[in-house]
Amino acid sequence: MSLTARGHLATALLLLPALLFIAVWFVTPLAQLFQLSVSDKAGPFAPYAQLLGSEVYRRVFVNTLWLALTVTAISILLAYPTAYVLTRLKGWWWTLAFYCVLFPFWISVLIRTFAWMLLLEKNGPINRVLLELGAIDRPLELLFNAGSVHIGMVHVLLPYAVLPIYAAMIRVDHRLLLASDGLGAAPLMTFLRIYLPLTMPGVTAAAVFVFLLALGFFITPALLGGVSAITVAMLIEQLVNERLVWSLAGAASFILLAVIFALLALAARFVPLGQALVAR
Amino acid sequence: MIVTRSLIHGLASAVLAFLVLPILAVLPASFNRASFIRLPPTEYSLRWYERFFQDREWLTSLATSTKVALLTALIALALGTAAAIGLERLRGRLRGVLTGLFLAPMIVPVVVTAVALYYVIRPMGLSGTVLGLALGHAVLALPFVIINVGVSLRTLDPALLRAADGLGASPARVFLTITLPIILPGLIGGAVFALITSFDELVVAIFLSGIQAKTLPVKIWEVIRLEFTPVVAVASTVLIAITVALFGAARTLGPRERSRP
Amino acid sequence: MSAGRSVAFAGIARSFGAVQALRPTDLAVAAGEFLTLLGPSGSGKTTLLNIAAGYIAPSAGRVLIDGRDVTALPARQRNIGMVFQNYALFPHLTVAGNVAYGLKARGRPADEIARRIGDALALVQLDGLGERAISALSGGQQQRVALARALVIEPDVLLMDEPLGALDRQLRKHVQLEIRRLHREHGRTTIYVTHDQEEALVMSDRIGVMRDGRIAQLGTARELYENPIDSFVASFLGESNLLDGRLISVNHGRARLDVPGLGVVEGVAADGLEGMSDVAALVRPEDVAVEPARGGWPARIEEVVYLGDLTALKVRLANGQDIWCRRHARLGVPAGAVTIGWEAAAIRILPRSQPTKTEERTP
Repeated sequence: MSLTARGHLATALLLLPALLFIAVWFVTPLAQLFQLSVSDKAGPFAPYAQLLGSEVYRRVFVNTLWLALTVTAISILLAYPTAYVLTRLKGWWWTLAFYCVLFPFWISVLIRTFAWMLLLEKNGPINRVLLELGAIDRPLELLFNAGSVHIGMVHVLLPYAVLPIYAAMIRVDHRLLLASDGLGAAPLMTFLRIYLPLTMPGVTAAAVFVFLLALGFFITPALLGGVSAITVAMLIEQLVNERLVWSLAGAASFILLAVIFALLALAARFVPLGQALVAR
Repeated sequence: MIVTRSLIHGLASAVLAFLVLPILAVLPASFNRASFIRLPPTEYSLRWYERFFQDREWLTSLATSTKVALLTALIALALGTAAAIGLERLRGRLRGVLTGLFLAPMIVPVVVTAVALYYVIRPMGLSGTVLGLALGHAVLALPFVIINVGVSLRTLDPALLRAADGLGASPARVFLTITLPIILPGLIGGAVFALITSFDELVVAIFLSGIQAKTLPVKIWEVIRLEFTPVVAVASTVLIAITVALFGAARTLGPRERSRP
Repeated sequence: MSAGRSVAFAGIARSFGAVQALRPTDLAVAAGEFLTLLGPSGSGKTTLLNIAAGYIAPSAGRVLIDGRDVTALPARQRNIGMVFQNYALFPHLTVAGNVAYGLKARGRPADEIARRIGDALALVQLDGLGERAISALSGGQQQRVALARALVIEPDVLLMDEPLGALDRQLRKHVQLEIRRLHREHGRTTIYVTHDQEEALVMSDRIGVMRDGRIAQLGTARELYENPIDSFVASFLGESNLLDGRLISVNHGRARLDVPGLGVVEGVAADGLEGMSDVAALVRPEDVAVEPARGGWPARIEEVVYLGDLTALKVRLANGQDIWCRRHARLGVPAGAVTIGWEAAAIRILPRSQPTKTEERTP
């Protein structure tokens, strides 16, 4: 056997176990779920028609999209100034601030959500402080509504927004800002004409990540949300575990996946997502 | 100008506090004496820690989580390391396609992966077993291992491998004496990622857990939905402690912190 | 003593995709010989070296070491010693660990390994530094560790890929002589790749000048310098002035060409000049005599560079072309208008080579 053929064989043998694993435990299950969703007795696309035709199910999809959109907007608005301050810090302060962003990454979403349940509870610290201050005279209903879901999801997703924006910001050559300044531009103009456009790729990447992750959220809305506003992920779980209608669960999964891949394909035309993903 | 700057700094400080402080609220909650959670506690005690470490169900779920995490790390590390080395040897289009395939579990919503896995694993009798849970978690952990090992492989000068080859070392010897020591930080980082992914994971675990095998997060999830007992805060603190310990190990042994720009 | 083995390349070729990095090449390296492959980047010299080592498989042809066909063998089974451009020292091993690596791979007993590490480090004058970390060594020391690591396994062939490129000029000169001394001591067949003509001249038994994936000329340093086959080889080895012109006649080993704006130049004809039209006269700087205006080519001194022992003069000829000449510094520099001249026997008339792809690539 030639040297080259031997090299190719070794490469194939290295990749094969992981490929088989992904094929058996990831690709095949998804394919089978898809198969299930299109082989309903009532016709090949009946589950899809049922989901998209029903007012109730349609509202779940619209709710999920709207929730993901608002959570993304809030996350980006908070992440941009935070990432900026991160680029201006030095030494010990930078380390501290950076760990504040990284630390939540490592803590289970379940625990982070649980922490918010403790804080927002009717007898929780926030209500008690407000009561003692006399700002309110009976406890507010802070839990199980759109507000608590937004707080919880922004908390989980914010680091995903900060890091890509930060990565784009540290690549900006600060001499450009000095040059703009030297040319007589006001700070606001320098920001709008130089800094913002240069950091926009980071913002786009951050928005895409946060939005895609938010679309599939399950734990946080399930624990912090009210019964009326459920997300697609919660719907899928209910369809499987409570109502045992697998074909509908499969169809809902693939509608979600279709939206995600369409968005990814669209976003990939504007930002090198691969790089941003690996940079994480 | 100065006003704008202090506004921005104030906002950023508030955001950073918002990210970290709520998580820390779990710690005092676990030291409550009362049988319900009061924050901050009026009286502190270790009562609920005793309860946690004497309760068979909690301890079993902690043991299950540990077994699942170790098995997950083993599978993901073995497959992911080989795959990362294989990917590094590929060029061109095939490399991009395979990388995309390996990283896909990061993009597909976990609930979709979980339902699909549940659907195929149930008839095999793997649902509710440690093996089934570990297989599911390994799907999620594999991309992290491949990314971590891949990053450290890129620091490995291919000339070193050729040099070792030229000196007469067999491929296995080259791997053990050159490649492995140099990519070790990446392996440790990948292993810790895999362990933490598995310890923290809830969605796949909800679907694949059963009476025989239930992970700690699933147990927490079940209890949270019924009552606000301080035992949950204890269980959460245990999980945070495990994560922080692994995180610390990764930082000391793993790849060096990216240097300051 | 000669511990070396002969190396032969038979019809070796290699392409990378559409690029032909190496055209079919035959080359025989004698046992114990020091052969240098000299050429610009992209000329195929490193490809040829890597094919000898077994790191690159040839698209066609065979490699023979000591008459044995090793084409299909991986590097680890060829018993070669390779010194890499940036040394490729194992960063996680000590100096001794690096030198021991090949011996351990061969399963030698520990006491023998220890003894041979000591000998090898003594050979490259690094005694006592065995326990140092690689990162604690200077560039020159690292270079010598790389050499010791390659030599300690007693290779059939020593292969060196621009091993001095990372050293500063002073050190490079020193190490060149060191490598030459070592070669005399160990007598191993050596193939050495460089783009530095000075290295090639100092160390080699023979030099192969490479261009565009083939060996343009193979010979001793003296043969290449005195009898280059074309203007490329002439300009790559040593300082040269080339006067382009049209060939007028070739007669009994003498050739005459017409240089536009200058007139007829006569010199010794290179082989195969008959029937050519575009040729060049090679005038080495040391062969040019610069005199105060008398008979000869009228010229004007444009620049004077003092080099210590020598003075380099740039003179402009009547047709506007500049020529460099060299003379002993103590001869002084003539002032004003001068004439230049040379012995016809010192001039070689060569075929003019077309600009190469590689030359176009390198600015």
